[in-house]
Amino acid sequence: MEPVVYLYDGTFAGMLHAIARAVKDGGAVHAITPTHRYTPTLFDTVITLKCDADQADRLLQYLQNLHPLAANLAVYAYLSGEGGVEMQMYSFVHLCLRRGKQALSYESHSAVAHLKGLFHAVSREAHRYKGLIRFRILADDLQYGPFEPHYNIISLCARHFRRRLAGCRWLLHDLQRNSALYWDTVDLQPVEVDTDFAAYVALHGEVPAAQLSENEQEYQQLWRAFHRAISNPARHNPQLQQQGMPQRYWKYLTEM
Amino acid sequence: MNTLDKLTILADAAKFDASCASSGSNRKAKPGALGNAAASGICHSWSADGRCISLLKILLSNDCRLDCVYCMSRRSNHCARATFTPDEVADLTINFYRRNYIEGLFLSSAVYASPEQTMSDMVDVCHQLRTKYAFNGYIHLKVIPGAPQELVAKAGMLADRLSVNIELPSAASLKELAPQKSRQGILTPMRQIGEAASNYGAERKKSRRTPKFCPAGQSTQMIIGASAESDLHILTLSQSLYTKMQLRRVYYSAYIAVNSAPNLPMPSTAPPLVREHRLYQADWLIRFYQFQAEEILQATAPNLDERLDPKAAWALRHFDLFPLDINRASYEELLRVPGLGLTSARRIIATRRVAAIREEDLKKLGLVMKRARYFLSINGKKLVAAIPSHQDLLTAMCRLEKPAISHLSPQYRQLRLF
Repeated sequence: MEPVVYLYDGTFAGMLHAIARAVKDGGAVHAITPTHRYTPTLFDTVITLKCDADQADRLLQYLQNLHPLAANLAVYAYLSGEGGVEMQMYSFVHLCLRRGKQALSYESHSAVAHLKGLFHAVSREAHRYKGLIRFRILADDLQYGPFEPHYNIISLCARHFRRRLAGCRWLLHDLQRNSALYWDTVDLQPVEVDTDFAAYVALHGEVPAAQLSENEQEYQQLWRAFHRAISNPARHNPQLQQQGMPQRYWKYLTEM
Repeated sequence: MNTLDKLTILADAAKFDASCASSGSNRKAKPGALGNAAASGICHSWSADGRCISLLKILLSNDCRLDCVYCMSRRSNHCARATFTPDEVADLTINFYRRNYIEGLFLSSAVYASPEQTMSDMVDVCHQLRTKYAFNGYIHLKVIPGAPQELVAKAGMLADRLSVNIELPSAASLKELAPQKSRQGILTPMRQIGEAASNYGAERKKSRRTPKFCPAGQSTQMIIGASAESDLHILTLSQSLYTKMQLRRVYYSAYIAVNSAPNLPMPSTAPPLVREHRLYQADWLIRFYQFQAEEILQATAPNLDERLDPKAAWALRHFDLFPLDINRASYEELLRVPGLGLTSARRIIATRRVAAIREEDLKKLGLVMKRARYFLSINGKKLVAAIPSHQDLLTAMCRLEKPAISHLSPQYRQLRLF
């Protein structure tokens, strides 16, 4: 049989289903990729899949039962949005079927090394943003937190803030992907942000002053003053500062 | 005086406190209250000196009646003085916290009326934050030496972490440089916190309803380079604080010459940043790498080599134990290889259970071999063609260290002016 290319709809369930299907078919696999990323070539045998949530669920459940980390590797690989993770997952699932739970310790296996690397990269960025997101309090007491993450980590951040700021209304806005999540103290839901507003924020790294609450700028000024004062000039070390907080994070930081 | 001026003065006075940790406490969110504490700790920003900012680190007041020789806020110095009201501290904390600027509050203070009064006011601030403002985030409270027992006990119920500054590594130095503070006044609350934490811990094993006492444990801080103690003395002290007093962290703070006095280093002296860095490395060896202070240093050479990290120095002194085989060495042995850390050692052990490690796997495992290659072998095969002579190896290891410490050493800092 010719090597096959599996195309799926770009969702997480779609990816899992495609992997499950490829494993089940048992033939040689050339690639597994979302339809919108695929460039047709002359020689590929293409199978376009319609997402079967049931099969996807079963694969996820299998990984979860194997070890929670195995399921997390799949989730974080998807969130990384990097090309080629599907094939790594495919080869990882094969390894799991052969080796069981041991597969997770097989760190010199290229798929395990790659997926664990991605897992760490994505969770590191999510962890960093838990500290680096700056909320602006708007006139209607909504807390607005713009950021531009490299990976698609908005859901991981939202999970953190729905516990921490459960009693506040907030909105996380990923300007890189123009996706936003809104917490109304009870529920978390995806929302659309006004395009003019988003364009202004993306350009200036700050919310239009007219929309801020009355004392927002005062607290921003206090925070900047604190940030300056707490630094010890005798230990001045900007390299170390950048190491902790690389410049790509500075755009929406009130203090930089 | 407005809040902005006060904040500037009292944050500036707090900049000498080294602690920044917000980890170790797993304070769950409560309905109706603001915040929680993440067990791993979260850094929120980095200041221009490269240290992370995770807590709103301020003094309640810098109006000190003590006259410690090394301190910027000492009574005889002329500097701007300010005192916060509890409401100001609470308002700043809550508003910074909501905007996700900080992980919580780190409140310290100069001793303004009496130790009892100061401590009582600080505990009062925490109490108000926890009750009136329903703040459920992280609080680190400094305990004033000489504070009465019942206030320390109360503080432990409100704060996540307590710390008593040990200030200087020996009683003699303390007497000379901080004559109004006594060794006893520092060690008594420290011991009390340690005992209370372990008592409450034991009670919690019986009933989960027992409240937590100081869940993130206690830490302390000492000034390095203001007095003449050796590194061996300092590390032995830290080791006994970890084992006997159950401290979580000892912070080392390189002395920055702010005052001139006959018994202090000259005001022009550069702060001993490299020494501080080496002490932290040695401290890590004690806490995580199963080293003893006496292994790191001996009485014959009681100070750390500034050119070399303490683990590499130990390995070079015990070079007869190497090379270790990466497929056979135990976890404890792997921890002693320069260049291998906790993660690398754990990864090697985990992988070995599934498949033997080959030379081409080293990179996939994410192992950094630039130091470790001199100390490891794979299935009997060395990783370098020939092991250099002791002197050459020492030179090579020192060269590898240079980038990490160059921006800390005074020569380099001086050059940057031109």
